[in-house]
Amino acid sequence: MRENSSLTLVLNRTFRHWSLLPAVALFVALTIYPVANLFRMSVSTIEFAQAGEAWTFTPLRNLALLRADEVVPAAVRNTLIFVVAAVAIEMVLGLALAIIVAGAARGKGLIRTVMILPILVPPVAIGSIWKLLYNYDFGIFNQTLAALHLPPVNWLGSTSLALWSVVIVDVWHWVPFVFLILFAAVEALPVDVLEAARVDGATRWQLLRRVMLPLLRPAIVVALLFRTILAFKVFDEVFLLTSGGPGTSTELVTLHLYKVFFDQNQLGYGSLLSLALIAAIVAFLLVGRQAVRLARP
Amino acid sequence: MNTSATALSLPRSATTTPATAVGGGWIGTTLLALAVAAVLGPFAWILTASFKYQIAIYSGEWPFTPTLSNYAEVLFGRRSDFVGNVVNSLIVASASTALVLVVGTLAAYSLQRFRWPVWVSAGFLGWTLVFHMIPVMTLIGPWYVAFRELGLYDTRIALILTHVTINLPMTVWLMRAFFRELPPEIEEAALVDGCRPLEAFRRVTLPLVIPGLIASGILAFIFSWNEFPVALSLTSRDLATVPVAIARFAQQYEIQHSQMAAASIVSTIPAVILMALGQRFIVRGLTLGAVK
Amino acid sequence: MIQHARVICTSFLVAALGLSAAAIAQKPFADVGKQPPITILIGSTPWYPAFEKVVGIYEQQTGNKIKLDVVPFGGILEKARNAVRSGQSPYDLMTLDTQWTIEFYDGGFLSPLKEIDAAFELPKEVLSYGDSGYWNAQKRWRTADGGKLMAYTVLGNVQLLYYRGDVLKQAGIAPPKTWDDVLAACAKLNEPPKMYGFVARGEKGNGIRYDWQSVMLAERASVAKDPAAGDYTVTINSPQAKAALDLYIDLLKRCGPPNYGSLGQGDVIQLLATGKAAMGDVVTAAFASFEDPNKSAVVGKLDTVALPRGRSGANGAVIGNWNAGIPKNASDPQKKAALSFLRWFVTYDAQHAFAENGGIPNRSDVFTSDLAKQPRFRWMPAYLETQKFAQQELGYAEGAQVEQVLGLRLNQALIGEMSSAKALNTAAREIEDIFRKSGRKTGTLPPLPE
Repeated sequence: MRENSSLTLVLNRTFRHWSLLPAVALFVALTIYPVANLFRMSVSTIEFAQAGEAWTFTPLRNLALLRADEVVPAAVRNTLIFVVAAVAIEMVLGLALAIIVAGAARGKGLIRTVMILPILVPPVAIGSIWKLLYNYDFGIFNQTLAALHLPPVNWLGSTSLALWSVVIVDVWHWVPFVFLILFAAVEALPVDVLEAARVDGATRWQLLRRVMLPLLRPAIVVALLFRTILAFKVFDEVFLLTSGGPGTSTELVTLHLYKVFFDQNQLGYGSLLSLALIAAIVAFLLVGRQAVRLARP
Repeated sequence: MNTSATALSLPRSATTTPATAVGGGWIGTTLLALAVAAVLGPFAWILTASFKYQIAIYSGEWPFTPTLSNYAEVLFGRRSDFVGNVVNSLIVASASTALVLVVGTLAAYSLQRFRWPVWVSAGFLGWTLVFHMIPVMTLIGPWYVAFRELGLYDTRIALILTHVTINLPMTVWLMRAFFRELPPEIEEAALVDGCRPLEAFRRVTLPLVIPGLIASGILAFIFSWNEFPVALSLTSRDLATVPVAIARFAQQYEIQHSQMAAASIVSTIPAVILMALGQRFIVRGLTLGAVK
Repeated sequence: MIQHARVICTSFLVAALGLSAAAIAQKPFADVGKQPPITILIGSTPWYPAFEKVVGIYEQQTGNKIKLDVVPFGGILEKARNAVRSGQSPYDLMTLDTQWTIEFYDGGFLSPLKEIDAAFELPKEVLSYGDSGYWNAQKRWRTADGGKLMAYTVLGNVQLLYYRGDVLKQAGIAPPKTWDDVLAACAKLNEPPKMYGFVARGEKGNGIRYDWQSVMLAERASVAKDPAAGDYTVTINSPQAKAALDLYIDLLKRCGPPNYGSLGQGDVIQLLATGKAAMGDVVTAAFASFEDPNKSAVVGKLDTVALPRGRSGANGAVIGNWNAGIPKNASDPQKKAALSFLRWFVTYDAQHAFAENGGIPNRSDVFTSDLAKQPRFRWMPAYLETQKFAQQELGYAEGAQVEQVLGLRLNQALIGEMSSAKALNTAAREIEDIFRKSGRKTGTLPPLPE
């Protein structure tokens, strides 16, 4: 690289300005229109006639639909249980595995490749295949139970169990996500800090609690943040596994949203439901952050 | 923290990773073995299913007579475009990953290091996060209309641009977390030594966040690789990607598990290879620059 | 560049198809002249290979090109909506599930076939499938009476009662004619977990709604009083509907596996294909896969009859067909080309070839042709019988919403979360609310005692 070329000079002098520019430009170009459209739809009723669209401004009607929707309470309850359970398990397992694998003397690359296999499989295949694993008559779980002379389990057909069966699939699918982020964070930890602590005679547990976890905090927060958002948005697997049944036992907000926005073509109310979901995620994250702050001594 | 810049920017030897101190022990080993088994169990099931006839999958037959017919159908079947689908996915996923890494890392660095007014930094970060929360199904209609108007419907460009947008929030936030872990003194020292800002970023800071770049890259690649609704809407048969092709096996009345399993296995292999290559590319490119 | 890629791929497709169709080079089944290439939107379904073969024959005979954009089942509606809602449609012909057609008819998104060519007529042998191709814009209803022909059926599916010929014979049971026969037969045959007497869908949503409605029709019950005449009084909580629901719950609980509440079409097919079920309520289109040794352990053992009568003495079956229509925003020459294909496709010869390759033909004369005598087409008599009484259901704009209500409440009654009376009362109230919100003349029956 010629150090004194004029381009390099300009790039250097204006680095601060252009470094953010591509991201902002892309976001302005690709998100403003769809998001504005989403807001506009959420206060409208859209009907199709004469091969065209007729928009009417009906914010109150859409709100009334939301309030009267009898599926929403169950969907919200299930979604919260699902998100809290799945994300908590995934964070704990993902963090533990990241630390263990990072500590392995050899074969880290191979283990990491194996660990990310589940997120490589398309969700539609995951849903279809786990449905077979859970199959009452032929599934591998019930076959195993039968071999152990235990009674079969109604994994997806029982209202009390179905949601947990779905959580198990989600954990299998998404622990790799948490693992991948935290493994990278552990690998990027400054060596000398840990060395110093060890030389000072810290036990393993102290090293983990007092030194590693605080240093890993930014990565843990990001993993938690994005895992939570993605868990709220879970769709394909549950759609294929249970479609929200039996009854309302695995009905989730996104499944309901799909029915309203897509199956029933209610674009206005569907958009409002979609905004309500976003508001719920934001509220959940803020409450979560506050709870963590209060819990910390 | 008063560590010298040079000590940290030196490449680490493989044996002294920090976590060696914490991980390990028989509990760790047992847990790891369990985790690998739990991950590989269903995966092994998919692998065996790919060698079974549908009826053997249905009845959970074991042992079974293996067949290669599913692979033959997926790869060479008269109706199958699967090889083309894999090529499409590889192009779209690699291009969008490369782009999102560049754009996202620059943005993350910029937000972390330069003193942007709060409305810019918080505004941008908040916007990306909220955008990430929007159910994708509500974005597809407007994107379809926009790309059709631009004459970009059914092109890889449309798919790459949307995938970069979808993956940008996670990349920015992740890379920002990695930049935050770095003490600012390192770079300041480099600047004092006469490095220009861009050079300091490229030669000093970036090599220190290689694990972060790799993790973000793998995630962006995977999310692009598996993205279904946008890929479905913005392309037709010729440019369909792997998840769209695999979803075709989930038919109205029956799911063709045998071929779906074979297709899943077939598509996993090039993806793993490409990710390994990409990783090597990042490490080589950045560490060579750092040693100088 | 994109154009270029398309041309390559199209010709590749043609080459691949041409190879198999080369043997059938002959005089066209219908004279359609030289037409520009068209693109067809079609879903990935078990009958798609048959359709693809017939398209290959068309290309071979006429020299006209057709590009098939085959998309996952879950993506067809999305693609079709996008295509018609803005600019020029990328598709010249779209195959749509019967439930979706209403949205496209009502929104004016399809060209009436006679507006493309005033001389176009469907041959009288083509089955009507409850007039699902016609749309009366005044009544907002699918009927040939005052309606325009918007589309026609490329594949008509109805549920049939599948039964194991060998098992029933051995037990000395005649093929069931009434739902009570099914109940009686399954009492004898049911031997879980080795053999289930009868399986049908209990899964929440479309599954239970669709399968149950056959029993509902057999009990002469209905969802709304007379939608064709604009009377949307909700009648789903009638004593007849309750009888139908109680019967259905009885059938599934007494004859099926313990996961009856989550049983979907795939599960039902799996249970029949593995030989675990003696009888089942399954679509006609699944028959071919039961005859494929790679997919079935009961090849040659399953027979079919029309769905049984209820205690009311009526038969009931719900039609689930695929209609092909031409988007209004396609160009005129493309529309003509698409219609030319449709004209060719309804000829006896084309339908005969479609059936031979595993499709379900839409012409009555194919069902009485030489094919019906072949063992692999032994479902044909039952299918033709079913056409006499099969009906379209939920044929109004609110259909998808009504389906969600029924799909949930029926499932809740099945798994015991509510009594059947309460489930139907609740559904009636909710459906009435849906109709009221869209401005229909509606009301409801007095509630059933809970």
